[in-house]
Amino acid sequence: MRDFVVPKADTKILGKIQLQYAFRLTAHYDPPQESHTPRGTFRYQDILSGEVTGERISATVYPDSGGQYDTIRADHVRDVDAHFMLKCDNGEWIYMEHVGYRRTDGYYRAIAYVETDLKGKYEWMNNTTFVVTAQESADQREVVFHYYIAN
Amino acid sequence: MSTQDESISRRTFLGGATGAVALSGLSLAQAAAAQSAPGSNNEALPAQWFEGPDPSMPKAGLRWAFSARVFFADRVMINTMDSPAGRGYTSVGGGDIWGPRLQGRVLPHSGADYYKTTFTTYYMLQASDGALIFIHNRGTMRRFAGQYEPGKPLLPAPPPPASQEGVWTRFRATPVFSAPLGPHDWMNRTVFVASSQRQANPDHTVFNYYEVL
Repeated sequence: MRDFVVPKADTKILGKIQLQYAFRLTAHYDPPQESHTPRGTFRYQDILSGEVTGERISATVYPDSGGQYDTIRADHVRDVDAHFMLKCDNGEWIYMEHVGYRRTDGYYRAIAYVETDLKGKYEWMNNTTFVVTAQESADQREVVFHYYIAN
Repeated sequence: MSTQDESISRRTFLGGATGAVALSGLSLAQAAAAQSAPGSNNEALPAQWFEGPDPSMPKAGLRWAFSARVFFADRVMINTMDSPAGRGYTSVGGGDIWGPRLQGRVLPHSGADYYKTTFTTYYMLQASDGALIFIHNRGTMRRFAGQYEPGKPLLPAPPPPASQEGVWTRFRATPVFSAPLGPHDWMNRTVFVASSQRQANPDHTVFNYYEVL
């Protein structure tokens, strides 16, 4: 391995960052179905429906457009991997991806990666980093997600 | 600060990479002040909390975990970023890591950014105890001069500037870590977001990683 000498540079400076609330998604799922894999317990959950509400967006989850493809690891943390589609009130489509962790202590946080129509009303969501908090119901069939823009 | 102000053009980003002009030189006095500034050493900082319109909602928090400076070696493009197949390669030379929850270095020549429209980096960190930590970092950089307005065409990204003066070089990054069992295991179960700032002379980026609480 080649070595590397860190150059002298006066750049140990914190940038500013803040979270700005954007919208809420209440999602409804089928019961999870679990299977054992070499990587851990695979946990599939079909997304049935959902409602998105916020100042700048009005949409619903497109039924059966995907769901949760999570993996419960040996340490009982769930690797969250979600993919689904939103359909907006004006007919535009939005692809939604969640990457995050659901822990046994109740911590459920994710990053949402969003893709929308470049020529649409929701173009502002493209290339925007969303931080997501999530609260799961006891039966795991309803999850309320809150999306914050990482500004 | 508007989202638009945070916009960054990939072409501008790359165009500036070949320039030998510094972003802005810190004076010696500023540099001395920066030595003791919050975030410039390993001292923890308080968490920041953010809330939505409804007070019953859970709050979202950010707490500075550590920072990394990544110095780049090669910048290569396959096709161009304007082509549908455009992909870039920016290799990692090395770097350093400081902060309350992780100290160490960027493992020299351990990976790169293999970006398409969004950046996608894979490389290794090495903690001061020797532990190797894999980082897969994703993020976006807007390539438009502004937001799309219905009925108006998208504004093209500005041409590469003669210097980096006035160019926005900040962006967000979202890493996923694979850390060995032991003192760094918390990184395997924590969501992070970074504020990132590109620097010139030499070409590097400062990533400030925050735990999402």
